[in-house]
Amino acid sequence: MSTKPRLQLNLPALFSKRILQWGAALILLVVALFVPTFVETYRLHVIIIAYFYAILSSSWSLLAGYAGQFSFAHVAFMAIGAYTTGMLGKHFGWPPLVGIVFGVVMAGAVGIAIGALVLRFKPAYLALFTIAFSEILRLLIRGETQLTRGDHGLHLEPLLGADVISRVPYYYIMLAILVGTLLFMHWLVRSRIGLFLRAVREDEQAAAARGVDVVRYKVLAFAITSMIAGLAGAFYGHYVTIISPNMMVLTQMGLVMAMAIIGGVENLIAAALGGILIQVGLEELREFGAWRLVIFGALLMLILRFARNGLLTPLFRLMFGLGPRAELRKDTATVPEESAPVAEGVTADGA
Amino acid sequence: MDFFLSITSTGLVMGVIYALMALGLTLIYSILGIVNFAHGEFYMLGGYASYLILSALSGLHPLLVVPLAGLAGAALGLIFEILFLRPIHQDRIDRPDEYAILVTFGLSFFLINLTLAAVGPYPHRPDSFFPGTVNLGITRISGDRLTAGALSLILVGALLLIINKTWIGKALRAVSQDKQAAAVVGIDSLSMNSIAFAAGAGLAAVAGALLAPSFSVTPDVGAQPSIRSYVIIVLGGMGSIKGSIFGGVIIGLVESLAAGYFPDPSRGLKYKTAFGLLIFMLVLLVRPRGLFGRKEE
Repeated sequence: MSTKPRLQLNLPALFSKRILQWGAALILLVVALFVPTFVETYRLHVIIIAYFYAILSSSWSLLAGYAGQFSFAHVAFMAIGAYTTGMLGKHFGWPPLVGIVFGVVMAGAVGIAIGALVLRFKPAYLALFTIAFSEILRLLIRGETQLTRGDHGLHLEPLLGADVISRVPYYYIMLAILVGTLLFMHWLVRSRIGLFLRAVREDEQAAAARGVDVVRYKVLAFAITSMIAGLAGAFYGHYVTIISPNMMVLTQMGLVMAMAIIGGVENLIAAALGGILIQVGLEELREFGAWRLVIFGALLMLILRFARNGLLTPLFRLMFGLGPRAELRKDTATVPEESAPVAEGVTADGA
Repeated sequence: MDFFLSITSTGLVMGVIYALMALGLTLIYSILGIVNFAHGEFYMLGGYASYLILSALSGLHPLLVVPLAGLAGAALGLIFEILFLRPIHQDRIDRPDEYAILVTFGLSFFLINLTLAAVGPYPHRPDSFFPGTVNLGITRISGDRLTAGALSLILVGALLLIINKTWIGKALRAVSQDKQAAAVVGIDSLSMNSIAFAAGAGLAAVAGALLAPSFSVTPDVGAQPSIRSYVIIVLGGMGSIKGSIFGGVIIGLVESLAAGYFPDPSRGLKYKTAFGLLIFMLVLLVRPRGLFGRKEE
């Protein structure tokens, strides 16, 4: 399998595929921009929360799917962002915007520390350590009631002040954060850093031998995704205006993971859309009560077992043509679809 | 001094029960090489099984239900193992480490929500084994907890006997030491996997059934005991049976003493789990193979 025929064969195809992808993304964005004109207030709130989950699930997919670090502390970093700005506001009267900046910085700083600590852990140990970290933090927030108000919940100033009752501005802000973080992560994944991260995920020793600074990129991935989670949490806090330690229970983490995995954990857009669709779906299916989550749990396990790429990624592939990889695979047709992510990562046309 | 003895004995009793649950996790880890992130949910199901069976068949002594709850947990574990974990060992999954973490966590998500949907969020409490308290001389302890501790002690002993003295125990140990060598002498490692997972899940369910009369069960009751079991197996050394027993007792004592002597009692109680978690993070950072763990690679 030399690289030469691949380039010759597929440059035009690759080009039109790019256009198709960006075109589809643009259409989605335009639809998103007009959502407030045809959606009533409650639905709009649901969609804002869905965007919040989309930020979490896509950034977790960057950490887990691209960097291969299956952290269970992602919603804990979200809570760090929310509680940092909340406590700065409550105890020092700092304005929300400054608080949000500090929330992001705090999430990043803790992210660097935790990222550096878990660096050498095998996956199971990393999962255990991040669960422990997340739970200790939750117990601390529950316990230190004078600082955090514990289970009573901490009140935050609304971001735009108490006068703004309309949810429309909040909708556009959350959308902007979602689109901004997605563009940033997309750029990151396509850059050398993304390539290094995937190289580290596939074979850490080989990557190190090739001169990739494994330590730096692993910690970097942890810090960046933690900051994104912190940003989402800080803004979420100033939107819903009350937060409690329940926002970081492990089942919340499970929900975020389910969103990313059902969408497609190795594709940022698929993970984000998974978050949006599942959150909206959960609201729409409210009449089924708790059974909704049972179905999602079952779906999660089945997808893990039978469709490693999630539900949306294969759909994307169908819509936007099969691309250079698939044409190549006609020669080596014995390889089943599910075992493809290795090739997908390295040819840099995975999204 | 009385206070010290009293909380020490409570800690010991709880420690034995913790050890029982952690042993299940260790059994699974040492044979299948995976951490069961749904361990707490088998504990939760054990509690619910005993509650549901007892309310269906009134007149049964609560103690008789405990083995039934264990069997229910083991059956569920067996089904899950065959459907979702066996493919790992048949090389049908890529990136098996992550898959095992996610799929067991997915099971936990599924089971919590299933219980929530089927039984509801309200706490349930099966009938006591023996109502009232027992005077141990140094302290009084509730009959339920003493029963749970004593039964756990017997079960831990029985488990040690099975592992060390019977054919099946020998086969399990062989698989945990070297799969290929075990296969050469005719041990089917796939069925050993199923046995180990079912037994581990069953032990967690038994622990849940034993503690359900003391602490009532809710769908999310499994989180604390499962995290505690992770702490214990890491402290004792992943895959070490001796480690799980010592680790369980140590964590039982630490939780009880730290909560008892924490300056602010109400906060001490809230942080009970956090003390164990701190030990856990320290062990992971300083001595990842724990007290009795095998040296990795």
